[in-house]
Amino acid sequence: MQEAPMSFKARAERALADPTLKLAIDRTTGTAERKRAVAMTQFPQFEAARECGKRIKDHVIAHLDHYLLEFERNAIASGAKVHWARTAEEASQIVVSLCRQAGAKRVTRVKSMLGEEIGLPHALDEAGIERVETDLAEHIVQLGGDRPSHIVWPSMHRTREQVSEMFKRSHRAPHREETIEAMVDSARRELRDKFLSADVAISGANFLVADTGATCTVTNEGNAELTTTPPRVHIVTAGIEKLVPTTAHAFAMLRLLVRSATGADVTQYTTFHCGPKQPGDRDGPEEFHIVLVDNGRTRMLREGLKEMLRCIRCGACMNHCVVFRQLGGHVYGGTYPGPMGAVLTPVFDGLKSSRDLPHACTLNGKCQEVCPVDIPLPTLLRGWRDRSWREGLEPASMRVGMGLFTFVASRPRLYRLATAVAIRVMRLFSRGGTVRGMPGLGAWTAHREFPAPAERSFMAMYKDLEKGQ
Amino acid sequence: MTARDTILNAVRLGLTTPGVDPAAIRREAAALLVDPAARRPSLLSDSLVDAFIARVTSPKVAATAERIGTATELPDVVRRYLESRQLPAVVALQPAAILQSLDWSGFEKHDRVAADETIAVGVARWAIAETGSLVFHSDAETPILANFLPLHHVVLLRANTVLAYLEDYAAATAGQRPPRNVNIITGASGTTDIEGSLVLGAHGPRYLHVVIVDEHSALDEAQITA
Repeated sequence: MQEAPMSFKARAERALADPTLKLAIDRTTGTAERKRAVAMTQFPQFEAARECGKRIKDHVIAHLDHYLLEFERNAIASGAKVHWARTAEEASQIVVSLCRQAGAKRVTRVKSMLGEEIGLPHALDEAGIERVETDLAEHIVQLGGDRPSHIVWPSMHRTREQVSEMFKRSHRAPHREETIEAMVDSARRELRDKFLSADVAISGANFLVADTGATCTVTNEGNAELTTTPPRVHIVTAGIEKLVPTTAHAFAMLRLLVRSATGADVTQYTTFHCGPKQPGDRDGPEEFHIVLVDNGRTRMLREGLKEMLRCIRCGACMNHCVVFRQLGGHVYGGTYPGPMGAVLTPVFDGLKSSRDLPHACTLNGKCQEVCPVDIPLPTLLRGWRDRSWREGLEPASMRVGMGLFTFVASRPRLYRLATAVAIRVMRLFSRGGTVRGMPGLGAWTAHREFPAPAERSFMAMYKDLEKGQ
Repeated sequence: MTARDTILNAVRLGLTTPGVDPAAIRREAAALLVDPAARRPSLLSDSLVDAFIARVTSPKVAATAERIGTATELPDVVRRYLESRQLPAVVALQPAAILQSLDWSGFEKHDRVAADETIAVGVARWAIAETGSLVFHSDAETPILANFLPLHHVVLLRANTVLAYLEDYAAATAGQRPPRNVNIITGASGTTDIEGSLVLGAHGPRYLHVVIVDEHSALDEAQITA
C-alpha cells in the first residue's frame, strides 16, 4: 500500500471533491441496486431463504471446532494438504514458501478478498514472484497500481474511459474500438497465454464443504478455472468461517449470495475443487493446498462479533450504503469497505487507527435490511462506537462536546433556552430553506444540505396550544 | 503449540458449548434443510426439460438451445451451427465415448483444446432446471479446460439427466467420492467489472449452445457406444 498515511477525514474530503470517482461509483452501485431489486421481485421466497441461510451460518459457527476437523479430515483424504495460519503474515508466508518450493516464477491469481486481507499480492511481489491477476477487475487494479475499492467490483472506482487508457498503455494488442466489449476482448487476448504458462495458481473459496473436503468458488468470467487447472500446484486460502456442513447447504447459501451480489440467480461458474488430479484425469494440478486462516476470526467469536462471521462477502451492504456511495471504497483504508468493512477493519487494524469508520454511518439500517444473512451491522457499529468511548479513543473535541451536550440536555430550561438561541442563529444563515455558510457548520454544509429549522420549536408551539385551551 | 492447535483452542474458547456429539450436530444440520420448497424459486414449467430450456434461453442466462431425437443428429447440428456463423468445420471434441462414436466425417476434429480454440463440443453429466445450469465432473473423458478455452461451447445434454433443483444434484452424488472438479456452468462467461455492465466472453466461452437429446434415444446411444 503506497498511499500516504492520511486521516479518514482527509481521504473523505479528497474523494468528495473527485467528480470522476463519483461518476464511477454511481454507475456500478446504481446498476447493482437495480438488478438486486429485480432479482428480489422474482424470488418471493427470499425471506425464507434468508432465515435459513442465517441459521446455517449460526449453526456452523456454534460448532466450528467440529466442522474444521471434519473438513480437514476429508480434505486430507482427498489428497489435499491442509495448512493452518493464525495471522495474516503467517498465511502469506505459507503461500510464498509453497510457491518457492514449487520453484514458481509466474503465479496466476484468482480474486479473493481473503488474499487481499492477508496481504498476499504484496508478499508475492516482495518475494520477487511474478504475479498475474486474472480477474478482469483485479487486472485493472494491478495495472493501476492501486487497491480494490469494492469486494465484488474491485475496480469500480475506474470509469470505462480510464480503463481504456490503461489497456492501451499496457496491452500487447489493445482494443481499437471504444466499447466495453472491445476492452474485455483486449484483456482476454492479453491474459490467455499467462493462464497456460503459470507454475502456481492461487485462489480463494466462497465455501468450504465439511463433508467432502471440497472448496467452492463462484465466478462469472471463467478466469478461475483457467487459472487453477493448468499449473502444477493450486493453493486455496480461506477464512475459517467459510465452512458449510454439506454441498446442499452450500447451494442454500449460493442462492442468497449471487442475488445479493449481482442480481443474477447463479454465477456463470460454480466450481468445487476436491484434492489434486486423480488417476486418469485429463488435466488439473498435481498438488492441492488449502490454507485455513484465523486472522482475528476466533477473537471475533470471543468479543461479541459472532454475527459478523455470518458474512458471505456479497457487497449488498455497501451498494446500498449512503456513505459508501458518496466516498467509494478506498476512503475506508482497509481491505473491506462499506458497512461490513467498518465492522471488520477495527478487528484487523485495531480500533485506535480505525475509530472513524464506525462513525461514518448514518445508522439508517439499510445495510442490515439488504444483508442476505441478516447481520445486525448498525448494532455492531454502535458497539464499536461504545467501545471507542469507553477506551478513551474519542478525541477531546468529541468528549468535551458530548459532555456539554449532556449537561444542557439534562436541564430542560437550559435546553429550551439553548435551542431557542440556536434556531434564531441558524435562521439568520438560512436561504431557500437550507442553512448556508454558517460558521462552525461548514464541514456539514460543504457537501450536504442542512434544512433550516422551523421558526418555533415544538415545545414553544405546544405551550401556545396549552395556553389557548 | 502448532498453529492448528492454537486456532482450535481459540475456537473452543469462543464457543458456548464446544464438543457436542457429532451425531447431534449432523441431525441439526439436516434439520436446517427441511421444507426446501419454501425457500427455492419455482420452476418455469412442470416438465423438467421445458423448465431447463426456458431458463437457459432466458435473457438472464442468454444461451441457446435446441432438441434432437437421437445423438446421431449432433454432427449435423454442429455443421449447421458452424455454417450459419461462417466458421470452418474444425472442432475440438471432448474425449467422451458418446461423442467419439458419432459420425464426424467432413469435420477436422481433435481432442486437445487449443488456447485459442474456436469451438469445442462436449457432453454434460447433468443439468439443473432451476438455474439452467450444466454439470461436468473432471475425469478421463472430461478435461476441464475444454469447458473454458473455446469461444463457442456446444454441449450435448441427455433429457433424462435434467434435475429439478441444485439440491437434487447434491442428492444424486451423495456418498460418492467427489471428482477433483465439479463445474456447474450457467450460460457463457461474462463480466460486469467495467462499470457494472454485462459483457459476454470474458475469459471463457462467449457462446453456449445446448443440444438436448430426447430420453428414449438414450437407449440407442448405449447401443452405439457398446
